[in-house]
Amino acid sequence: MASMHIVLEDTHAVWCSADIRSSLQYLVTLFSRKLFNDSLPPVVLKHQLYSLHNDKTSVDKQVVRSDCNKCSTWDSVQSHFIIITLMHSEALVFSFPRQNELRETGELLMFQLGFDSEAFALVFAEDYRAKVLQGEAGRGTLGTVEKFLTKLIPSCSDLSFNKEKMLKEFLFTDSEITQLVKSGVLTVRDAGSWWLSIPNSGKFIKYFIKGRKAVLGMVKKSKYGEILQTELEGRRTTSQVKFQMKYHIHDIIGAELVECIQTTSGTLLRYVDGNVN
Amino acid sequence: MLSFLYARQSGLDDPVRLRRAESTRRVLSLELNHNRDVDRIHGNGINTLDIEVIDGRYMLSGGSDGVIVIYDLENNSKKPQYTCKAICTVGRSVCRHVHKFSVETVQWYPHDTGMFVSSSFDKTMKVWDTETLKPAEEFQFDGNVYCHHMSPVARKHSLVAVGTKDPKVQLCDLKSGSRIHILQGHRGEILSVRWSPRYDHILATASTDSRVHIWDVRRASGSLFTLDQHNGDKSKTSSEAVNTAHNGRVNGLCFTADGLHLLTTGTDDRMRLWNSATGENTLVNYGKVVNESRKGLKFTVSRGCSPEFVFVPCGSSVAVYGLHSGELITMLRGHYNNVDCCEFHPDYQELYSGGKDCNILAWVPVLRQPDIEDEETNSKRGGTHAAINPAFEDAWSSDED
Repeated sequence: MASMHIVLEDTHAVWCSADIRSSLQYLVTLFSRKLFNDSLPPVVLKHQLYSLHNDKTSVDKQVVRSDCNKCSTWDSVQSHFIIITLMHSEALVFSFPRQNELRETGELLMFQLGFDSEAFALVFAEDYRAKVLQGEAGRGTLGTVEKFLTKLIPSCSDLSFNKEKMLKEFLFTDSEITQLVKSGVLTVRDAGSWWLSIPNSGKFIKYFIKGRKAVLGMVKKSKYGEILQTELEGRRTTSQVKFQMKYHIHDIIGAELVECIQTTSGTLLRYVDGNVN
Repeated sequence: MLSFLYARQSGLDDPVRLRRAESTRRVLSLELNHNRDVDRIHGNGINTLDIEVIDGRYMLSGGSDGVIVIYDLENNSKKPQYTCKAICTVGRSVCRHVHKFSVETVQWYPHDTGMFVSSSFDKTMKVWDTETLKPAEEFQFDGNVYCHHMSPVARKHSLVAVGTKDPKVQLCDLKSGSRIHILQGHRGEILSVRWSPRYDHILATASTDSRVHIWDVRRASGSLFTLDQHNGDKSKTSSEAVNTAHNGRVNGLCFTADGLHLLTTGTDDRMRLWNSATGENTLVNYGKVVNESRKGLKFTVSRGCSPEFVFVPCGSSVAVYGLHSGELITMLRGHYNNVDCCEFHPDYQELYSGGKDCNILAWVPVLRQPDIEDEETNSKRGGTHAAINPAFEDAWSSDED
């Protein structure tokens, strides 16, 4: 079901559906594939979704729902919320159950990136599988990686695996685990446990952190430490910023590294003091 | 409003519904009121506030200078302009039993206002007699006392839970003066302790080791459970952070009024809502709740509203969040420096907040504006003083003719 995004200016009513998938697809378009020579699947960060949707809790719920099928914490039916904000700040909220019983299990994969304990990367499962197999083509580890992916994608929602799980549940041998680490699908977390990871993502993380720092610096150096979002989007990116400006803007808004203030000229981004970055 | 009144009168609605709706409306309209003021006695920052539960009339405050002040919150003057007067002070020059260093926590005795307990960085906890303002009992500890709490519902015991620099939580008995009951399990300083408002034997403690333990004080063995932010999913985090409530120090605890949920805040700038019976993280996402406090953070939850609100001091303002939705409702700005504590008055839906700027600010619900009909009836009764447009008012001719 396509998402609805109707804005009626004269009655100030905004229809938005809490369909995370369409937001993810939009954010995926902002990801620069060419930068990595097409070897990486499009990566979106979970907190970028917070900049597009107001209700963080429902975003979390839907992301968890779509990547695991055994969540006992969420017992409410996934529903669409339609929020109509009327002129005198009264809001009517309607919620009703989803019309399509789209089983979203196994469609999205979540990764712990490592530079921030709260930053999670989301990748569509088909993209991930395609890129990993593309990267592995011609190498000896292809078979093991394929086996791992078939085990992983339909059912598993863990971000990390320990040795017991790999040996008993997935029936991998030690040498196969070494092959998986070599291919980049697993990264060492601790003695005997591994994070699920995206192969060749080191470059992504490096560019991402540099770009984030540069964009935040742009906001900080502006007069009074604040800048209109439209103005920031229009600025020329320095050589430090490899991704699209909008990608970074969604990131800094969602991670609350800047404060969003609504003004008559649009959204204003103000640098928040006390950031470690 | 009229529809609520009519529904209550005719029996369509439960009486609680009108009260809850009106309480919620009042909390949503909290703002600083120039008519309400609190006496400024403290010379240094205010660390803690407590309003007594019996009448909601007297408020205690403890400051960084060791001074404790009692205020009368009730407005007996018939004027809207009112300053909450300080009735008595345990001051530095007046009283020789005053705390030497900063008072971190004060709390009224839950059953009457004849007694209150204060704990301070001078490693003591004093039980004061309100009439004479002298300590009736004094407990000495080995390290700075960060917090203490008495159970608001306990009838069978009078235990005060004390959190100090020592990783052991101490329970002091007010009836016998003994302090032999110790709860072991934490590995860092205890920054916050809180009894459950639902059961008199359940205690929650928060510590710098990032863990929150829930204890049943009747049990001899360790804690009932610790709160785990990942709900047992060990894969989501690095191995050291397994089974922790926060990714930093946990410095604030607050039970909701019904005792079914527990809120914790940590220096990882997060606030989490837990189911207090199972210890499950409800995963409500409040976003970044700025928290730089090195000691305990005192925050509070509203009572009697639906939905409930959380008031958290965030830097120099107080952030108001919806409890179950996680939405930031508003930021109450007014303090000149960091806010350290806030306390909600459930009967009048007022919020009192104190901070490093030595001010206690009262956030009062905005009164409804009088309707236009009232003005017309007033003018009929008033006669000559009709409500006329100020542009047509005669401001130049003199009365003496």
